[in-house]
Amino acid sequence: MKKYFRIVVFLAIISCLSGAILGFVNSITEPIINDNAIALEKKNLVLLFPDGEFKPIDYKDDEGIVLEVYKVNKKGYVFKTTCKGYNSSTPIVILIGMDTEGTIINVIPLEQQETNNIGSKCFEEENIKKLYVGKTIDQNADAISGATFTSNAMKMMIAKAQEAFRKVK
Amino acid sequence: MKDLYKGLIKENPVFCLYLGLCSTLALSTSINNALGMGICVTIVLILSNAIISLIRDITPDEIRIPVYIVVISTLVSVIELLIHAYVPSLFDALGAFLSLIVVNCIILGRAEAFAKKNKVIPSILDGLVMGLGYSFALLILSSVREFLSTACITLYNPFDITQVIFQIGFPSLSKYGISLFSSSTGAFLTFACFAAFFARINASKEDDK
Repeated sequence: MKKYFRIVVFLAIISCLSGAILGFVNSITEPIINDNAIALEKKNLVLLFPDGEFKPIDYKDDEGIVLEVYKVNKKGYVFKTTCKGYNSSTPIVILIGMDTEGTIINVIPLEQQETNNIGSKCFEEENIKKLYVGKTIDQNADAISGATFTSNAMKMMIAKAQEAFRKVK
Repeated sequence: MKDLYKGLIKENPVFCLYLGLCSTLALSTSINNALGMGICVTIVLILSNAIISLIRDITPDEIRIPVYIVVISTLVSVIELLIHAYVPSLFDALGAFLSLIVVNCIILGRAEAFAKKNKVIPSILDGLVMGLGYSFALLILSSVREFLSTACITLYNPFDITQVIFQIGFPSLSKYGISLFSSSTGAFLTFACFAAFFARINASKEDDK
């Protein structure tokens, strides 16, 4: 009996020590590993959340529209999405920032080659505020008449981002 | 010195004792990987031998294998986290094999055969010698394989993957490289040749006596 007690205690002590050491090393290295993961995207992410702490989340959607998802500590989420608009050779790439309820805070275009003065109107600041900012998680984005292809691409990307939000929340 | 000769040539863990072959064959594709893996295994060997030798008197005999495994896996996890944070290029190159150091036979084998019966300093030396033997084996295997498959041997700075430290060979002939040697078939072939060579060296030393 005493022998078994000694065995159990020894193994328990060793395991606790091991866990403590691992927890300590992890607390030191985790922020550095996180920084490496978001380093490529960081300068764009701070445009949406200037003081945010970003953590990448694994998410794949079936059509490949949502490229990356980042959780911003206590502030919300950022979705990097892509979709073909009117220009068939350059897909649109945008960053969508949402707060913790899923309401869109801002949309930042990273790449777009849509038709000047028609599709490109979707990316002008006053139009972004009118069409996308403030839309809650249940509302669809608005469109610009006369710029159907581009507007549809934007609506699709925002819908997919809202779907992703529901899944990762 | 005699121990070093033993660890490198006479009882080389890879070519004579045939331990740790899985990671050897998979990671000897380039000397960057070989160097990185060799250093990690040596560090884990030294530390695990030291710790197991330190606790050899208080470890109950019935549970010594689980205890060794907890010690070794904690060490490997710590090293994995540190490499993930500070040398990400090495982490991507080694991939799963960093975690597989835990089950590398050399480490458990030396713990069972040496560290549990000897004092701390000899155990540390044994770990160092066996680790050097493993690294030496990996390095010569990967030099041959890299040279035959890309016509030159290139060492990159692990902290800045674009910086080349040295490059020996004929970069212009790289299209004549035999790509067989960067696959597992080539690994087995090269390994077999080296193992035969080492067996020959050791046999002739025996004959001399």
